[in-house]
Amino acid sequence: MADLRIDLAGIKSPNPFWLASAPPTNSGYQVQRAFEAGWGGAVWKTLGEPILNVSSRFAAVSFNGQRVAGFNNIELITDRPLEVNLNEILETKKRFPNHAIIASLMVEPRQEKWHEIVKKVEAVGVDGLELNFGCPHGMAERGMGSASGQVPELVEKQTHWAKEVARTPVIVKLTPNITDITMTAEAAVRGGADAVSMINTINSLAGVDLDSWNTVPHVGGKGAHGGYCGPAVKPIALNMVAECARNPLVNVPISGIGGISNWQDAAEFMLMGATGVQVCTAAMHHGFSIVEDMIDGLNNYLDGKGIASVMDLVGQSVQRYSNWGDLDLNYNIVAEINNDVCINCNKCHIACEDTSHQCIDLYTESGRPMLKVREQDCVGCNLCQIVCPVDGAISMVERRSTIPPMTWNERQSLLRNFNR
Amino acid sequence: MSEQLLTLDEMKQIDECINKGFSIHSVDENLSGMLIIFKRHEEEVRLQVLTAEARKYFAAKLQEQMQL
Repeated sequence: MADLRIDLAGIKSPNPFWLASAPPTNSGYQVQRAFEAGWGGAVWKTLGEPILNVSSRFAAVSFNGQRVAGFNNIELITDRPLEVNLNEILETKKRFPNHAIIASLMVEPRQEKWHEIVKKVEAVGVDGLELNFGCPHGMAERGMGSASGQVPELVEKQTHWAKEVARTPVIVKLTPNITDITMTAEAAVRGGADAVSMINTINSLAGVDLDSWNTVPHVGGKGAHGGYCGPAVKPIALNMVAECARNPLVNVPISGIGGISNWQDAAEFMLMGATGVQVCTAAMHHGFSIVEDMIDGLNNYLDGKGIASVMDLVGQSVQRYSNWGDLDLNYNIVAEINNDVCINCNKCHIACEDTSHQCIDLYTESGRPMLKVREQDCVGCNLCQIVCPVDGAISMVERRSTIPPMTWNERQSLLRNFNR
Repeated sequence: MSEQLLTLDEMKQIDECINKGFSIHSVDENLSGMLIIFKRHEEEVRLQVLTAEARKYFAAKLQEQMQL
């Protein structure tokens, strides 16, 4: 069994699976049940001046039979009094001293407000703080959440205010509702952040009811933009983690969040630079017990790879994530169809003919329909393999180029030097 | 002419120029692809290369020439 313990900026937990700040971490009852189920940590649903929530709050986007491919909410931070939350954190920490409890915090961008809440929360024994500069709805309209998180100067200043009094590690949670997340990640680091977490939810409208013409969700016939999460956002989150992980100015650990639903997702985030992961939508969809499969799967994966500690995964793929201009223009792959496995649905032919490079030919051999790739016209786009419904029917295979490797940047440099 | 045949033709023309002793004198990338001027003493050949693959091939040939 591999060692699944992680240490994220000094915050230790028995495994890398934390519940993200959200409805699953709203109360001591829930967090304690989650720890009993096996979660290594929990980021307590955002504390601040208690707000009022609306009804209804959630919506899901299902796609082609897949329920909750995406998830949307218009719920704000905690609506419970701070003292109640603090008492429950204290009680939970006593029962689970080795599990990570991180308090998510959100207050107005005023120094005294940050000082007050940080001191109160740390007094009950949390292992760390997560500053919520990410929520896109409701609080943002009052100058908090992503309204702060979209302005690097405010991220830096508020992180600094929290750090002025904090004794535990400070994680800054970033909003994806920004052109370049590395700008705010760098600002967090300048402000003294011990770690960053990403991503918070993405601005969204889940849908419109075609009968009532109401938004989904709606509150008495009116809707508002919400935050999008779930499996649909994973590629967006993974890219943002990768961009920060390869940025030398973001030289702090990353807690990965965004559509993580199973151990494979977690391993991908860790390979791409996250020290641990936070999960929400999958737990809301399937319950706390999904962590059992996550732990078993990650353990088996690490054992199979001969890796002793999950921390050894962190960042192993970061060097492989580069800029387009550093890719080899002369690297070639082509599609290869295995006609013994192919079921002749012709989806590859249609896709290639209509929307790619018209390089898959239909022909008949001994009365049997066959498909063949004209390699000289294949650009290796992968589309045929993507649309193929049968595993193993189409493979993408490497073809050695007749010309040496050259990237776009090398090519442009060559032309510049030549024309000089 | 199919793109592949056009590519092969363009690559052949690049090779022919080089094999005849022409060297690449200047190159200008434009909206149609790439205009290459080959020179051999006072003699000049202009080649408009349209296809992506031939433009990649040309870059390799230019690199060879610059390393010579």
